[in-house]
Amino acid sequence: MATLELSNIRKAYGGTPVLDDVSLSVAEREFIAFLGPSGSGKSTLLRIIAGLETLDAGEVRLGGERIDPLPPGRRGVAMVFQHYALYPHMSVRENMAFGLRNARVPREEIEARVAEAARVLEIEAQLDKKPAQMSGGQRQRVAIGRAIVKQPRLFLLDEPLSNLDAALRMRTRVELAQLRQRVDAAFIMVTHDQAEAMTLADRIVVMNDRRIQQVGAPMEIYSRPANTFVARFVGSPAMTLAPAALSDGEGPFARVRLASGAEVETRVPRAGLPAGDGLLLGLRPEMVSVTAPGAGTADAEVMLLERLGERTLVYARLAGGQDVTAEDKGDSPLRTGDRIGLRLDGAAAHLFGPDGAGHHAEAAR
Amino acid sequence: MDRGRLTPVGWAALLLGALIMVAPIVWTLLLSLKHNGELVGHSGAALHGPYTLENYAAIFGNSSTLRWLLNSAIVALGTTAGVLVLASLASYGFARLEFPLRRTLFVIVLLGLAVPSQAVILPQHQLFAWLHLHNSYPGLILPGLIAPFSVFFMTTYMRGIPRELDEAAMLDGASRFTVFWKVILPLTAPAQSTLAVFTFLGSWNDYWWPLISATHSDMYTLTVGLAAAQMNYAQTSGLGYLMAQAVFASLPIFVVYIAFQKQIVRAMAGTAVR
Repeated sequence: MATLELSNIRKAYGGTPVLDDVSLSVAEREFIAFLGPSGSGKSTLLRIIAGLETLDAGEVRLGGERIDPLPPGRRGVAMVFQHYALYPHMSVRENMAFGLRNARVPREEIEARVAEAARVLEIEAQLDKKPAQMSGGQRQRVAIGRAIVKQPRLFLLDEPLSNLDAALRMRTRVELAQLRQRVDAAFIMVTHDQAEAMTLADRIVVMNDRRIQQVGAPMEIYSRPANTFVARFVGSPAMTLAPAALSDGEGPFARVRLASGAEVETRVPRAGLPAGDGLLLGLRPEMVSVTAPGAGTADAEVMLLERLGERTLVYARLAGGQDVTAEDKGDSPLRTGDRIGLRLDGAAAHLFGPDGAGHHAEAAR
Repeated sequence: MDRGRLTPVGWAALLLGALIMVAPIVWTLLLSLKHNGELVGHSGAALHGPYTLENYAAIFGNSSTLRWLLNSAIVALGTTAGVLVLASLASYGFARLEFPLRRTLFVIVLLGLAVPSQAVILPQHQLFAWLHLHNSYPGLILPGLIAPFSVFFMTTYMRGIPRELDEAAMLDGASRFTVFWKVILPLTAPAQSTLAVFTFLGSWNDYWWPLISATHSDMYTLTVGLAAAQMNYAQTSGLGYLMAQAVFASLPIFVVYIAFQKQIVRAMAGTAVR
């Protein structure tokens, strides 16, 4: 049964639409990540679910009950804000108890719930401190604790890790993953960090330009992007998208020709592909390997190298001027300006039609 | 160069400035401690003893001065409390609520800053006469509640408080009033204290409106009462008593300054907001 049901949500600020016909179902105890660039509408959608923004059209249902006409405090949701939004003049204990007091929960139960949340989040020793006396990580835990004590049906997390330093972010990410195992509720997290989305979410909702671009499991989003936006946005470094034309042939799979003249045999079924030019060949860096000049699919010139330790990213340019990102193992001996060969692994390559829609290799299914 | 260290010239300038500021206060204090008769002819007698507290004893022996002190306290505290309540509520509305003509109303409030009180004194006097409010505490307090600067000051301060706090409170099931009362208002405490100090001092020192509104001597505030006394005792023989009254009238202000030094300095430095 779906916990949360969004139906045909529309929202505009003045004459500027920010959400256009967005629909989504979230299952019980599911962890969903809204992933997208700034201005894609993901935060607005979260705020509509929370009740902090009104919607112009559509419905929001939680557990079957329509909640969009209800005030935020009566929706059964809890939210963790990007900047924590802890009440600075209240102690940690008072911060966590504030919502329960407003809901007139008996004092004994408030104390029990606060104590339990503090135990789970290991902030028992901080309960009488003010937020200003705590570190960023501790404040984040209090913000999570304030959400937990309300025992909501749905947790809303608005870029909850963005204010933490890299080490603390990794640790809190793991703790969030553990927390969701213990809590009987669904989670929706807004993020623009794809690593967070990939590691925490059961499903990722990629948003751009007011709409949902794709909904799917993290690896599905990565390996079968629905369109060129998702292909470019998910994955680091971004997928190479090279203009290509469909070559003549009778085989079941498409063979395409790049501007450099190189031909790539893909595993994308020829049937269903639009005829002629206007295709884009999509290649992740791991699908492009470095060879000796003349030994690969095409020759290229090394433009830039990024040495990441266990691998080296090679930014190269094909004869036709097309930039391609390749991957070399370990500390590559290459230098900027070197002539190299590139082997393009067509078996895992993607094709995108003129409308941007993705067509994927059968083997990747 | 050590920026925290003053040069001898700097010290001398500061000392001179301090002397200029403190000298009238010390002079007033010395005069107040002299027998009135000794000051006849030349007030320089204040520079040497003997000194006496008889002028202060005379103040406490005069029931009018204590009455004026009480009046000033009631008016200043009433005005301060009223301004804090009204400015907080109005500012929350301007800073947080969406309603028609919000910007226009705020501009109208700000225009109040440009209207000198002297410009409206006649209609105000007439209005209070019609309402039979002269020679009453409401008559002395109400005009002080017209405080456009206070509304502007508090609105600016509240706008500096992150909206996420309101939103968090609303998600915590708080009503609009609970958000104001339990979340926003406590966070404006620094601004409230600054505003309270300035409103109290302004009201305590106000002379213009009490002079017009309080015509019965039992409704005088200290400023009006002392001025009236000055007219009666302007001859040199009353100088010591007059100065003792001035010192006595300044004491509450002195106490307020000492107690709220931090807020006053912060407000002067323009850092009260945030």
